[in-house]
Amino acid sequence: MATEQELSEFLKSVEKRAFKRSVYHVRNDEAALDIVQDSMMKLVEHYSHKPPEELPMLFQRILSNTTLDWFRRQKTRNALFSNLGDFESEGDDGEFNLLENLDSSDASTQVESAESSTQRAQIFREIEMEIQELPARQREAFLMRYWEELDVAETAAAMGCSEGSVKTHCSRAVQALNKALRAKGIQL
Amino acid sequence: MKTMSVTANLSAQDRYGRQLAAYLDASAQQLPHDISERLRVARQQALGKYREVQIRETASTSLGGGVAALGGGEDERGLWPRLVSLIPLLALIAGLVTIQMVGTEQIAEELAELDAAILTDDLPPDAYSDPGFAQFLKARIDQLRQD
Repeated sequence: MATEQELSEFLKSVEKRAFKRSVYHVRNDEAALDIVQDSMMKLVEHYSHKPPEELPMLFQRILSNTTLDWFRRQKTRNALFSNLGDFESEGDDGEFNLLENLDSSDASTQVESAESSTQRAQIFREIEMEIQELPARQREAFLMRYWEELDVAETAAAMGCSEGSVKTHCSRAVQALNKALRAKGIQL
Repeated sequence: MKTMSVTANLSAQDRYGRQLAAYLDASAQQLPHDISERLRVARQQALGKYREVQIRETASTSLGGGVAALGGGEDERGLWPRLVSLIPLLALIAGLVTIQMVGTEQIAEELAELDAAILTDDLPPDAYSDPGFAQFLKARIDQLRQD
């Protein structure tokens, strides 16, 4: 069973990535915050008796399900959203880009020149935009596999699909990102 | 040769994926202050919930026996506690049935004793319906009272 300290450290270690992951899916900061908070609550309410090593996997699954629940609620509210993979881009004025650019400039003045800082922020922004453009399942598989560092089996369990599907989704996601970023002149 | 090529492709794919993830990580560390604060508050609320859950579980464990004996409690209890909670009710029903049986038996015994006394008496039972004998008994009782 996880102690309060272990739970606190775990939540602290995942909260920012969970928020960004939710933002990539729902494209709304407020909704993403709600999703992360709901996921944290569900984890402690139903799974706090589990050993600490099981928490990452459980949290990823809860986060995915809570995000899906959010989409389902949206779907009932708005008939336009009929498919998770059919979202249109909201436009060029992404809600977090300006703040991130400003914030990243502040943080990087100590170690980087203004030019490289801006360039770096631009790369972040482009990568995030391309990730948002991926189909939902590819994005989910890519983020779990490479960002959350789950292995193929864990990702498959969290997504409720086969390991083969995870490999396919990841492969397509990486290829799409590589192609899109190259087209924009971004070489990693 | 083909296998080696696939493996090389996969590792290149993994490498690229991890490079992208590193950028995402760096980006996630630069969240606006208000978002970071709200995430911190969400975490604190979740930990508050954790404490509530702990207290509730401790309380339900320590009060489980008492609640079972009183016949109340939550549905999530197991079969045995629920069966145990029926014991007081069964004892009450058994007690009422015993009292009823004992009472019936006592009344039957009293009636039997009365019948036996009347039947074994020297006086025949028909005498009690004779008006002369009733008058005799009344006069006898009056005389005994006067003495």
